[in-house]
Parts: sequence; structure tokens; C-alpha cells
Amino acid sequence: MRREARRMAALFLLPACGLYALLFLYPVISSLVLSLYDWDGFSQQRRFVGLGNFRRLLGDDPMFWTALKHNLFLLSVPTVIILAAALFFAGALTSGVRGSKFFRITYFFPNVISMVAITLLWFFIYNPNFGLLNGLLGKLTGSKVSIVWLDPNHIMAALVAPIVWCSLGFYLVLFLAGMESIPQTYYDAARVDGANAWQQFRSITVPLMWDIITVAVVFLVIGGLRIFELIYVMALGYPNEQSQVISTYLYEQAFNNANMGYGLAIAVVLFVLVFATTAAAMRLMGREQTEF
Amino acid sequence: MGKGKAIPWGRWLVRGALYLVLVGYAGAVILPMVWLLYTSLKNNEEIFRSAWALPGRLHWGNFAYAWGRARIGDYFANSLLVTAISVALILLVSAMAAYVLARFPFRGNRAIFYAFLAGLMVPTQLALVPLFFLVNAMGLLDTYTGLILVYVAFSLPFTIFVLAGFFRTLPHELAEAALIDGCTHAQAFWRVMLPIAKPGLVTAAIFNFLGIWNEYLFALVLISSERLRTLPLGLANLLMVTHYESNWGALFAGLVMVMIPTLAAYSLLQGQLTKGITAGALKG
Repeated sequence: MRREARRMAALFLLPACGLYALLFLYPVISSLVLSLYDWDGFSQQRRFVGLGNFRRLLGDDPMFWTALKHNLFLLSVPTVIILAAALFFAGALTSGVRGSKFFRITYFFPNVISMVAITLLWFFIYNPNFGLLNGLLGKLTGSKVSIVWLDPNHIMAALVAPIVWCSLGFYLVLFLAGMESIPQTYYDAARVDGANAWQQFRSITVPLMWDIITVAVVFLVIGGLRIFELIYVMALGYPNEQSQVISTYLYEQAFNNANMGYGLAIAVVLFVLVFATTAAAMRLMGREQTEF
Repeated sequence: MGKGKAIPWGRWLVRGALYLVLVGYAGAVILPMVWLLYTSLKNNEEIFRSAWALPGRLHWGNFAYAWGRARIGDYFANSLLVTAISVALILLVSAMAAYVLARFPFRGNRAIFYAFLAGLMVPTQLALVPLFFLVNAMGLLDTYTGLILVYVAFSLPFTIFVLAGFFRTLPHELAEAALIDGCTHAQAFWRVMLPIAKPGLVTAAIFNFLGIWNEYLFALVLISSERLRTLPLGLANLLMVTHYESNWGALFAGLVMVMIPTLAAYSLLQGQLTKGITAGALKG
């Protein structure tokens, strides 16, 4: 490269690389290192404990396992529902129904609302006294309904609906893009061979959209692992064992209990789970790909 | 024999059921919004009397309270300021880096690109705690400078990925022609390549704007002053306060005020948004 080009390249890369190294890479690497220490965040003293934080977390902390269990529930049940519903709606909207644009635009809208606002909206919907849901059930049954949806027995199941509601539209648009890119002739040929709608879906749509579906699963699983606002705001800042998830437990340990090292160990476990999910999906994608 | 007639009947039934499901889910999206809107005009007593009844008198005071006393107006201005500056900086910094990474072959190019890309796999929570202490050490805790710089740093992986992909698709000859005409490489970037990269920049701007406008966790950790709160922080706080004060009408009004600009922006930009997702999906 000429000298001028080299200088420009360096100059143009400097702000991005500088910011990224300082405010992204450095904190991430610090987390990995500091998770090996016992540290309250305020005193100068840090005691090296090796894998002690992890041993305590995985071996001797029921709250962590409770939180992880909640994450597993929130990354599996909504994922299944969202995949099934988004594929169904995408199929329906590409089958030539009237108003498909209206449906697409409506379904996608919740995706642009902030998670805090969505949480608040569902907090209202679930309110036992003036909530939309009890009001609706009251109208249908003709008597007053006062189910406490966010009590310990219902809360996990109650969280499924807002998760589906706020993200379905994104996956619908994703799947629509995939379906619209499949040549119509494939379906015509299948119909000539006598394949019904379900057979066409199973042996044309799904295999040709395998990559997109895998990406969707990865997004949904990672989203379920990282979930924070919905739980934190719904519990008014203090989730307990009924709704604690990894992210809120991390926040509580680090910022409320001043257990920085321990909080970081939780963050590292979260990172490992996210990383493993992505890596597994990438392998899966490479193997089961179908060529056009 | 009767089969010839049975098929259209079956088809009508399937069609009808399909529409029922489609309209049903559209209702599940729209109904809560409509309910939210008219409940925001009720007073506390009306809210508790019946979940469904329309307001007897329109209590616009809820909105005045939420905008002024509950400071939603201030938080709105704060969010606008933080988001606008962040997005402008993100585009500038990312476009420069992405252009070089996409078009200048030099040793280490791939390594830098993949270092940015790796950031897409890291959950932000992993950086949260050290980031708090780092920003504190820089003297930027509880300032917009600190918050904005963090937003920029964490948007780089996604934005550079999108823009580098975009710059690779632009015709090489244009920059070459500018160079032959006596432009420097930097001039070719600013005057020729950046202007024609506008569609890519717009897509990146919309997604970053949405992400930062709605961001909660970093703001929660990095901002502590009430007067510096962004909209998500302010709204969450309003819920936590209202829970003890019980001015529910004002909280409904606050939520409506947060939703309306989102709805307005969405109706303008939804085409761009879905196009962005579609392009991403097909590229894989």
C-alpha cells in the first residue's frame, strides 16, 4: 500500500479499535480474571481464590440452580411456541391471504417497544385487581375473577406470554424472508406429485430454511439465557427465588451484596452457556445444510 | 361422488379458521394498546372499579402529572440526546473502520475484523461489573459521556459487521476513479464512498437507535442521578414509586407517552426495518 493509504487506514481504524479495546475487551478480560478473586469491589484487597467462586456457585448455591432452572424454562417453552407460531404465521401470510401486510406490520410492532415498557404493560395486564386478563376472564365467566398471576405458583408460566408477544414478529419477518426466497416451482412440482400442504412444508420449506431456523433457535436460546429487564422490573428490582434468573442474580450479588468476584463468576458461567449454544448451533448448521 | 363438492367446503373452512387465528393474534397485539390508551384517562377509583369500562370523564391530569411531576418529559429529552449523539458517533467511528477493513488488504486486517466479530458472541453482562469500575476510574460515572462511550463501544461489532458487508458490495471503480482524479484515499471515502453507502448507514442507524433508545441495563448501572435518567430508567422507577403511592392513572399515562413516539417512528420506518432483517436473513 502507498504511504498515504497506510496512514489513512491507521487513522480510520484508531477510534474504533481504541474504544473497543478499552471499553469492551478490557472489561471482558477483567471479568474472566477477577472471577478468580474474592473481592467486595470497594476495598483494595483482593484475595485470589482460584476456582473457589465457581466451586461455591456450582456446588453449594441452591439459588444459582434455581435461577438456571428458570432460564432453562424461559429459553425452552417460549422458543417452542415462537418457532411453531412464527412458522405457521409465515406460511399463512405467504399463502395469499388478504391483508398479509397489515398482519405483518401489526405482529412486528411489539418488537420495537422497549423491554421496560413491555414489562410495565404486562404488569398491568396481569394485575389481579384492574388487569386486562382478569377483566377478560370476568367478562367470559360472568363473575369477578381475581387470580394473582404473578404469585409464586403462576409467575414462570405468566412470563411466557410477554416473551412470545414481544419477539414473535421478528421471527415471523425472518421466516417470511426465507419462505419468499424459495422458488415457487418446487411447490408446483411437489403438488404435481400429489404432496399435501404438510408434506410440502416438511420436505421443502423446513429443509430449505434450516439455516434460518437454526439462527432463530440460537437467538431465542441466547435471549432466554440473557433475560434481565422482564424479571428485574416485574419484581420491582428485587427478584426472589420465585423468579430469579442468572442475570438478575449476577446483578444482585455484584451490586446489592458487593460480592464482585462471585458476581463475575456468575457472568462467566453465563458467557460459557451463550458461547456453547452458538458453537453447537454452528456445527449443527454446517452438517445439516441443504443445497439449493 | 360428493367429493367434488366437499373440497371447496373444506377449503372455505380452512380459510375461515386461518383468518380467525390471524385476526385473533392481531387482536392480542392491538387490544392491550387500546386498553392502555383509554385506561390512561381514568382516575384511580375508576381503574379499580372495572378493568374494562371506559373512563367517565377524561382525566388529562394523568398526562400532566406524568409529563411534569413524574418527569417523563425530562427523561424523554435525556433519551433523545443520549441516543442521537450515540448513534451519530457509532456511524462515524464504525463507517471509517468498516471501510478500511472491507477495502484495504493489509497484514492483520482479518484478525482485527474477527476481533470485532467475536464481540457479537459476548453477552454484555460479562463486561458489566469491570465496566462500572473502569468508568468510575475515568471519572465518567453518572455522566452522559461515560454512558455514550459505552454505547458506542458495544455497538461496534454489529455496526462494523453490517457496514463492512455493505462496503464490500459497492463498486470498486468509483473510489479508483476518484483517486485517479487526484483525490487522496481519505477524500475518496468522505466524498464518494460514504455518500453512496447511505442505505447501509440508514439501516445501521435505525437498529442502533432502537437498541439504545430502549437500553436499560447499562443505564441502570452507570447513571444514578435522577435528572440524568433515560426513559427506560425513568419508567421503571415510576413503576417502583407508583407501587407504593398508587397513582396508577399517571403510570398508564407515562407508558402511553413512551409508546406513542415508538408507534409513530415505527409506522414511518417499518419498511426499512423489515428490509434490514430480510437482508440479514438471506445473507445468512
